[in-house]
Amino acid sequence: MTIKLNKLTKRFGSLTAVDAIDLDVGDGEVLCLLGPSGCGKTTTLRMVAGLEAATEGDVMLGGKRVNELAPRQRNVAMSFQFYALYPSLSVADNLAYPLHAEKLSGAEIEKRVAQVAKTLQLESILKRTPSQLAEGEKQRVAVGRSIIRDPQCFLFDEPLSRLDVQLREEMRGEIKEVLQDLSRPTVIVTHDQLEALTMADRIAVMRDGRIEQVDTPHNVFQSPSNLFVAGFIGTPQMNLIPATLKGSNGDGLADFAFEGEQSLKIKVDPAVSKLSPGAKVTLGIRPRNLEMSVEPTEDSLSTKIDMVEPMGAETLAHMHDGYHDLRLVTDWRVPLSEGDLMHTRFPPDTTHIFTEDEQVLRSAP
Amino acid sequence: MADTASTKGGFGAWLLDPKRRGALLVTPAILILFVMNIFPLLWSFGLSFFNYKASSQRVPRFKGLDNYGDVLTDEKVWERFQTTAIIVSSSVLLQLIVGFLLALLFAKAFPMRRIVLMLVLTPMMLSFVSVGVFFKLFYEPTFGVVSYVLNMFTSEPFVMLGSPQGAIIGIVIADAWMWSPFVMLLVLAGLVSVPKYLYEAAEIDRASKWRTFRTITFPYIKSLLLLAVLFRTIETFKLFDIVYIITEGGPGSSTETIAVYLYRTAFQFFKTSQSSALAYFVLFIVIVLTNLYLYSVNRRAEEVN
Amino acid sequence: MARKHREIGKAGWGYTAVASVVGLIYFFPVLWIILTAFKTRTDALAVPPKLFFTPTFENFTSVFYRASITTGSSQATDMGLYFFNSIFIAFTSVGLALIVGTIAAYAFSRYPLKGNDTYLFIILTTRMMPPIVVIIPIFLMFRLSGLAGSYWGIILLYTAFNIPFSVWLVKSFFDELNPEIEDAARMDGATERRVFFNFCIPQVLAGLSATFVFGLILTWNEFLFALLLTGVETRTVPVAMARTLGGEVGVDYGLLAAIVTLFLIPIFFVTFLLQNQLLRGVTFGTVKK
Repeated sequence: MTIKLNKLTKRFGSLTAVDAIDLDVGDGEVLCLLGPSGCGKTTTLRMVAGLEAATEGDVMLGGKRVNELAPRQRNVAMSFQFYALYPSLSVADNLAYPLHAEKLSGAEIEKRVAQVAKTLQLESILKRTPSQLAEGEKQRVAVGRSIIRDPQCFLFDEPLSRLDVQLREEMRGEIKEVLQDLSRPTVIVTHDQLEALTMADRIAVMRDGRIEQVDTPHNVFQSPSNLFVAGFIGTPQMNLIPATLKGSNGDGLADFAFEGEQSLKIKVDPAVSKLSPGAKVTLGIRPRNLEMSVEPTEDSLSTKIDMVEPMGAETLAHMHDGYHDLRLVTDWRVPLSEGDLMHTRFPPDTTHIFTEDEQVLRSAP
Repeated sequence: MADTASTKGGFGAWLLDPKRRGALLVTPAILILFVMNIFPLLWSFGLSFFNYKASSQRVPRFKGLDNYGDVLTDEKVWERFQTTAIIVSSSVLLQLIVGFLLALLFAKAFPMRRIVLMLVLTPMMLSFVSVGVFFKLFYEPTFGVVSYVLNMFTSEPFVMLGSPQGAIIGIVIADAWMWSPFVMLLVLAGLVSVPKYLYEAAEIDRASKWRTFRTITFPYIKSLLLLAVLFRTIETFKLFDIVYIITEGGPGSSTETIAVYLYRTAFQFFKTSQSSALAYFVLFIVIVLTNLYLYSVNRRAEEVN
Repeated sequence: MARKHREIGKAGWGYTAVASVVGLIYFFPVLWIILTAFKTRTDALAVPPKLFFTPTFENFTSVFYRASITTGSSQATDMGLYFFNSIFIAFTSVGLALIVGTIAAYAFSRYPLKGNDTYLFIILTTRMMPPIVVIIPIFLMFRLSGLAGSYWGIILLYTAFNIPFSVWLVKSFFDELNPEIEDAARMDGATERRVFFNFCIPQVLAGLSATFVFGLILTWNEFLFALLLTGVETRTVPVAMARTLGGEVGVDYGLLAAIVTLFLIPIFFVTFLLQNQLLRGVTFGTVKK
C-alpha cells in the first residue's frame, strides 16, 4: 500500500490552495505535512480522503487512481481536528462505528473494540458519551476509531492541536507508539514542528500550496533547502542575516560584507564559487550553533546584548549591532548580561548560505 | 446627581432609585397587559360564577360552580374537544411529515436556494383568512380545482365539504399546508446545527445513509421536533379563522373546534357566563402546554451550550 | 472529462430544478388565487379550471370602484378605507408595542428582577392564549367603555396583543449582545440612558426592525379581534374579505381573489427580507438557531 500524489492541485475560484504537488508515502511510513495555517496542508489531506475533489492531478492509493471515488469507496481512516466523535453514541459505539460497513458479527466487533480499548487505555470509559470525556480521552477515542480497521491509509488532521502542553507531550508519545505498529502509509497534518519532528519518518514542509522540502526530520532541521524552511523549522528561529559576497578564492574561503562596517571570512561550500562577487546572499545560522569568542576574529560578528531571556537549562540572548538582530542560545551557566559586547563565530559546517532566490547553496553530496 | 435626588426624597426619587429601575422599565408593558388581558380575564372569571347573558338586561344571579359543572357534563363540549383533538393531532402529524421532508430537501446548498425557499415559506406568513379563501375556492364543488381533479376519478360529483370526514380532511389539509413550513424551519435549524465534520467522519467510516441519519442527524433535531410538536399543538388548539371561513363548523357541528364553539356560545347564543367557564378550561390546557414548551426550550438551550 | 464526486451538502442546478418543482407545487394555492384575480368572471367559473386565459385587470379596479346600477357612473367602494384601516391600525399598534416592549425587554435582559421568569411566563402565556378566551370579557369591556368600533379600542388591544411577542423577541436580541461593551461604557462614565441609547439600541436595530415587521404581519393578518371589535368605519381587510365570502349573493371569486392578492403583496416582500430571522420571529425568539 502506498499513497502517491501526482501534480495534485486544488483551486477555490481564483485561489490556488494546493499547487501541483508530488508526494510519495510508503507502506508503514509516517509522513508529516507541516506548514503555517493556510498553506494547503489540510486541503491536501482532504483530497487524499476524498472529502475535497482535486481540481487537477491524481491521487493514487495502492497504485490505483481514486480521484473519482467517494471517501467511503477509498477505504481510508481519518481522525479529524475536532475529533468528530458522534455525540449521541457511547465511546464503545464510536469505536465500533467504522466496523458496521464490514458486516462483522457482533462478537467480532466486540472483540476488536476491546482490543483497541486496551491499546489506548479506554476500557474504563467505554460506556461514557463524548460530552463526558476529557480532551485527552476524546483524542484517544478519535485515534482508536481510525485504527480499529485495516484501511488503505491513515490520515490525521492536527491530532494534538486541541490539547494543552503537558497532555500534548504525553499523547505525542502514545500516538508515536501506535503509529509504529501500523503497517499502512500514514499522513499527519500539523502546524507544530515539534510534533512533526518527533513523530514523522519524513516531513513535507508546505508553504502557499507548494511543498518546499521533503526529507527526514533530521535533514529538514540540519540542511534546510531554502530560506523558508530554514526560518520555519527550529525554535528560537534561525538567524538570517543579509550579506554581500565580496569574493571567494581557491582555498574555499569566502568574504562576506554586512551592512555597516563588519565583515566575515569563513570556509564555504565549493558551490559558492559559482557566485560572482557582489552577489546578495543570506547567511543562516541557528542560535545554538553560534560560538562565543573572547576576541573578535575573521569569522565572527560583534554585537551588544539587548536582552537576556533565561529558558531554564539554557539562556537566550538577543543581540544587536546597529543593523542586525542576532539570537544566541547557550548553557545557563554562561554569565550574560545586558550591554555586554559579544563576539560570535560562525562555524562553517552549520552556516547556511542562501542565494537571492532563497535557495540554499550547497553542492550535491 | 443621584445623591442629591435621593437626599431630596419624595416619591419621584423613590421611583427613580436604581434598585427599582428594572421594575420601572417593565411597568408600562405589564400595565397594558394587565388592562387588556389580565383584568378582562379576572372579570370573566367573576362572570363565570353568575348566569350573565350579554344580550339580556336582567340582573345576573350568582350560580356558584354550576357553570363549571355544566361545562364538564355537557356532551357537546366533549364532542368539540374530540373534534379539536382529531384536527390538532392529524394536522400536527401531517405538518411533521411534510415539514420534515421539505427540510431534508432544503438542507442542501444549491443554486438559488433562497428564492426557491421563498415559495415554501410564504404560506406560513399568510393570514388564516386568505388561506381559508384559497381552500374554499379549491373545494368549491362546481369549479374548484380539487373537486375537479377528484371528479375525474369518481363517477358522482364529489363535494369535499359535504361530509363530516371530508370537511375535517379539508381543514386539516389547509392548516397543515400553512404550517408545515414552520416545522421545516425548525428541522432545518437542527439540520444546519450538525457540524459538517460529523458527516465527513461518517462518510470516511462508510456508514450507511440510514445509520448516519439515525446516529448523527436525528439526535440533533429531536429536541427541535419536540418543540415543533408542542408549539404547533398550542397554536392549532386555537384554530378558529380557517374553520370559520371554510366550513363555519359544518356540516352540522362536525368541524366545530373548541374555539369556534366558544365563539358561538359567547357571541351567537350570548351565554356569556357559561362560555367564560369553558374559556377557563381552555386557558388551563394552554398554560400546561406553554409550560411544557418553555421547559423544552430551556432544556434545548442547555443542550446547545 | 472525468465525473467528479460531489462534496457533502452541496448540490447543483439539477437539484435546483427538482426543488423548484416541489416549491411550485407547494406554492400552487397562492399562484392559483393570483391567476384567478386576473380572470374574468366566466374564466373564473370555467369547468375544467382554466390555466391559460386572457388576463384582465377588471377585478382589481372593481375592488375600489364599482359601477352604480342606477346612474351607471363608477363609485368608490369602501375597500380603500379598509386597506387604510389595516395599515393605520397595524402601524400604530405595532409601533407602540415595540416601544413599550423594547424597554421591558431591556429590563428583563439586564436587570435580574425578582420573579423575572414568572413575569416572562405570564407574558408568553397571554400570547399563547387563544384569542377567543380573552375576547369574551374584552367585548363586554369595550361595550361598556364605548371603545367598541373606535380606532382607539382596536389599537390598544392590538398593542397589548403585540407586547408579549415584542418583549420575547427583542429580549432574545438583547441577550445576544456582549454585556462587556456596556460595562466598559459604564466604567467610562456613561449614564444608563446613554448606554441604552448609544450602545444597546444601535446594536439591536436590525432585530428591532425584524420585530416591527413581524408584528405588522401578525396584526395585518389578525381576524377574530377585528371581526368582533371593529365597526363600519374601522373595519380591516380580513374582516372585509370574510364578509365578501359570506355575501348573500353568489360569491364573486374573481373580486375576492383580487382583494386577497392585494393583501398578499406586502407579505411576499417581508418574507423575502426576513428569511434569516423567520424562525426566530415565528417562535417569538424562543428558538434562535
